[in-house]
Amino acid sequence: MNRRFLLVGLLVVIALVAAPLVMSQSLINAGIQMLIASLFACAFSLLCGQAGMLSFGHSAFFGAGAFATVHAMDAMGGAGLLPTPFMPLVGAVTGLLVGLVAGWFATKRTGVYFAMITLAIGELLYALAPHLSGWFGGEAGLSTMRMPAFGLSFADNVQVYYLTLAWVLLCLGLLYLFMRTPLGRVALGLRENTHRMRFFGYNVHVASTLVFAISTMFSGVAGALQAINIESANYVIFNLDLSAQVLLNSYIGGVTYFLGPAVGAALMSFFGYVVSDLTTSWLLYQGLLFVLVMLFMPRGIAGLVHAVAQALRRCGFARLWRAFALYLGATALLVAGTTFLVELLQRLFSQDYRALSQIGGNAWPDIPLFGASWAPLSVLTWLLPVLLLTAGIWLLARAARHWRRALALAAPDDDSPATTGGGRLVSGASS
Amino acid sequence: MNPVALSLRDVHKSFGDVDIINGVDLDLIAGERHALIGPNGAGKSTLFHLISGQLSLTRGTIYLGDQRISGLTPERVNRLGLARSFQITNVFPKLSVFENLRLAVMRQHNLQYVFWRGIEGQHAVREETEALLEQLHLMARAGTLATELSYSEQRALEIGVVLASHPQVILLDEPMAGMSREESAYAVDLIRKVTHGKTLLIVEHDMDVVFELSDRISVLVYGRIVATGTPAEIRANAEVKEAYLGEEVA
Repeated sequence: MNRRFLLVGLLVVIALVAAPLVMSQSLINAGIQMLIASLFACAFSLLCGQAGMLSFGHSAFFGAGAFATVHAMDAMGGAGLLPTPFMPLVGAVTGLLVGLVAGWFATKRTGVYFAMITLAIGELLYALAPHLSGWFGGEAGLSTMRMPAFGLSFADNVQVYYLTLAWVLLCLGLLYLFMRTPLGRVALGLRENTHRMRFFGYNVHVASTLVFAISTMFSGVAGALQAINIESANYVIFNLDLSAQVLLNSYIGGVTYFLGPAVGAALMSFFGYVVSDLTTSWLLYQGLLFVLVMLFMPRGIAGLVHAVAQALRRCGFARLWRAFALYLGATALLVAGTTFLVELLQRLFSQDYRALSQIGGNAWPDIPLFGASWAPLSVLTWLLPVLLLTAGIWLLARAARHWRRALALAAPDDDSPATTGGGRLVSGASS
Repeated sequence: MNPVALSLRDVHKSFGDVDIINGVDLDLIAGERHALIGPNGAGKSTLFHLISGQLSLTRGTIYLGDQRISGLTPERVNRLGLARSFQITNVFPKLSVFENLRLAVMRQHNLQYVFWRGIEGQHAVREETEALLEQLHLMARAGTLATELSYSEQRALEIGVVLASHPQVILLDEPMAGMSREESAYAVDLIRKVTHGKTLLIVEHDMDVVFELSDRISVLVYGRIVATGTPAEIRANAEVKEAYLGEEVA
């Protein structure tokens, strides 16, 4: 099991290293964004998933790392405080220090109050930053230049990609190892039962502050990588959007699994990269995706992978392929139906459409979509998405029935699912 | 005579206008097993909360040996050598039994803030955790999540995490509540074994258990100790009978 996990990991790393050889410039840029988002999500999830502290202001630490890095790159008359490859250390130190202070206050409370304090810290920075032009460059932000170092120019994005990849892999490795240290185990205890930890003799405030600061330290590295990549930093980085984005990414990926948030963040960044070019409603799709994941697979993508792997081990592919095929078909139909409906409505209610109807004298001109024209008053136009969605839901119900039947038919071995195999990915369950 | 391990002096606790604990004086002699009994609502659990630092006293003092512990936080009290269990199992439900115990053991090795060494390399911690598993007869369940244990196994784990901090004074809050006869007999045996040489204060409703296990018994009625003595003395005490009978009539 462990060996297979290592093998998959190795293959992924090889793929990541080889990727720039076959990717276009814009894809490489997207790749850098995906890597940074993955690291940020994993750093966030150390706090949220492993230690159970839901932060709403993590952009503060990402931003702090980014700005500190820009300052460090500009230092010494533009020569830089450190050689470019070591710049993320500046982000790490900044994230750690800011996190120690912020964490000391935030972890005085738990639950909703903790979330509110982190939210307040994030909003405070966002409100304050444009006024401190010396630190944050006002509304225009700060810009800088990557300096060559060790014979590398860092002028093209392939080199930046590899620099980012190296740091992200290093940090993910460190985060993984952290969960296997005593303080990492304490983080799990804090999540499960902070109250009881005190009766074990733990000073939960100090422990929470440390875990918080380690999370913000890696968030600072992610911010630094961002600053190196875009050679600038602007105060909008402190915006709540980024804090919300990392939260959504982590939960979509599966916040309690170690690599879940990384997968979620990479997929969502890629989704944004692809879909934001295709449609203006891409934030709506992202929101829909989040709601559906929370409703139907609250343990995220990693939880889904885990469940599928377990079902395969118990029943075998032969019993399950029908359910898989039905699920795939249902998903395709539902995606098609939803997309059609959203795009149709978006065009129908757009300003362009209103203008068109006024100019043309025709109150309901046809809407061009997916290579065809759709009359808004025709029943057929609306029947199509309704049919797609109905068929999708029907298939979904059938798939679920197949799935349940296959699992019920499988020999009900009493081995509790949480302790057998797959535990390597689940940091909480492995001991 | 042995020294006093835990001593309560004029302990008061009120919530608003309601006095829950009304001037309790109690001395636990080092090495004794002391039971605290009394009708429902007498304030037994509140007294436990006061001793363990979960609640603060309205008035009075509590000493652990010659160290004053009233006013200290639960973690300080624990580190001074007093550990307690909870009436309702209060462990780490989504962590394995092994992990539950290891968390409790780890603290005693002062590893709580260590992030530069792996946990697996801590052989002393592992050995101690395994010894506890052995003692609690939970070895076979080491990898099971605490939430998936049977009720009596959860109660055993609850006692185990208390023991892990090597306390000199142990407070057990209704450890046998809800157990069957056999489970209860086994638990009495376990408690007797693991509290050997330590000081125990136990709250329990099963009178058979109380009279079998304890060296001395104190009776708490409406926030006041009305009697302290050996099991035989308590059995013969008229005031105690009245307290329980009065409760049933009311």
